[in-house]
Amino acid sequence: MIAMVDCNSFYASCEQVFRPDLWGKPVVVLSNNDGCVIAANAEAKRLAHIPMFEAVYKIKDALIKNNVTFFSSNYTLYGEMSQRVMNILGTFSPHVEVYSIDEAFVDVGGMEHLDLKAYGHNIKERIYKETGLPVGVGVAPTKVLAKLANRMSKKIASHHHVYIMDTEEKRLEALAWAEIGDIWGIGRKHVMRLHQVGVFKAIDFVRLPLAWVRKEMTIVGERLWKELQGESCLEFMTMPKPKKAIGTAKSFGQKLRDLGRIEEACAYYITEVAEVLRAQNSCATYIQVFLHTNYHSKIDKQYSKGTTVTMPIPTNDTFALISEARKALHHIYKPGYRYKKVGVNLSGIIPQEYVQGNLFQQRSKFNDKRLIATLDKLNMKFGKSTIASAMIGTRVDEWELIKRERSPRYTTQWGELLTVKAVH
Amino acid sequence: MEIQYSGKIKKVNDAHTAEVSKQTGFPSAATHYMEAPIDLHKELTIHQDATFYIRVEGNEWKSYNILHKDVLIVDRSLKPNFEDLALVVQDATFKVMRIPFGGCKDICTLWGVITYIIHYAR
Repeated sequence: MIAMVDCNSFYASCEQVFRPDLWGKPVVVLSNNDGCVIAANAEAKRLAHIPMFEAVYKIKDALIKNNVTFFSSNYTLYGEMSQRVMNILGTFSPHVEVYSIDEAFVDVGGMEHLDLKAYGHNIKERIYKETGLPVGVGVAPTKVLAKLANRMSKKIASHHHVYIMDTEEKRLEALAWAEIGDIWGIGRKHVMRLHQVGVFKAIDFVRLPLAWVRKEMTIVGERLWKELQGESCLEFMTMPKPKKAIGTAKSFGQKLRDLGRIEEACAYYITEVAEVLRAQNSCATYIQVFLHTNYHSKIDKQYSKGTTVTMPIPTNDTFALISEARKALHHIYKPGYRYKKVGVNLSGIIPQEYVQGNLFQQRSKFNDKRLIATLDKLNMKFGKSTIASAMIGTRVDEWELIKRERSPRYTTQWGELLTVKAVH
Repeated sequence: MEIQYSGKIKKVNDAHTAEVSKQTGFPSAATHYMEAPIDLHKELTIHQDATFYIRVEGNEWKSYNILHKDVLIVDRSLKPNFEDLALVVQDATFKVMRIPFGGCKDICTLWGVITYIIHYAR
């Protein structure tokens, strides 16, 4: 059996742990640059007349009027709280597949002799007690069914966030309950196609002949079909797959005209992605850099361009990557526009130990692993970009994302600890 | 960094060269008695995934030996015992109290048990 554990309104819940004054009150978390709502807790979702997940400027007044508290996203905090949850799950089973920041599959195979319902409640209660985060637990024979069981644990109030799909009747009942679009892995396009052939519930889907599913939805659909039948097809991955491409692109806090500041932002993003690259022990072969103005603006001249450069030798060295990205940026930059966003994307990612030298390339002057390792260590200890390439400059606040309402990094910065007023 | 020349090929020798004495002879008498130095984090934080550090502002909790700017180590995983010092939530505010007989169920919500109070003495 497989358990799918996921945190309820994770980002909002992380904020609430440290803010008892907000318990039971509506809370939303905003995207990078405070552009739109990306997470809302149950209390906020209940305010049905406000279109949540909308651009902030459209709903800000309504949020304030309804006493909704909003936070800029604080990924440092969410990431650290997520790690705590995953560590605790690790004490329940040696096989935990971290699926996303707030979801994990836990292999509970071999524990069927236990009362799985009590086991599920145990997981839920322990995580809540130790971290303050509410979770839901769904247990079923396959991953796709576990995902569905998890959904039922939340949507059907009588389950109290723990649902165990351990009999054939329960499986059929679940399939009859679930809309086809609720099934993990079935996208909007497939939903439309399935509606055409009269498939609305998950149960209708499993009644389709396998040959049809294979023809229309490829091997991916076939696996889903089998998983829903209770036959496990999706393997358990305890190690995350190395990423094939790593990129970042964020809007500037304000529109930028001059190359200098854009260069600095570009160097900053490269620094971020190079860290990810090193964390997974790989090197990148290509860097794509792109730059564009605000598509939505009616008064601005529009320009958008991207280019890809090949590194002489695949590398994860921040300085080497910045230097090449800068050349690429100079190539595409044109003066006279108000730019909204610069983005970088590293691809051609290969394991560090497979990097081949280049006969015509001198060993790079940048290639000092100890320097980079020291840099990583310092930044880990003293916080992001404590030591960085001078290319990043010192004007970060002139272009960086607006994070007006970010909460303190309670769990990673000694200077930002939760402060409590001593009162009787 | 040292550059090695052998014919036409230049090679950088970047092997780690820490300053180690070339002296031979009788080694340190402590060789077989070395231990890792004390790590306060390890000693004071028993359940890492359930422990939070919280700073206090003001002297109102003097009677609990908690003073202005002290940092509380709060372990959420512990089951509170009678008389334990605990961080609780009452009327949507954090408070410190000693756990009464039978727990604090009706009067407040337990946030975590205080295990240590870090006080800067200078």
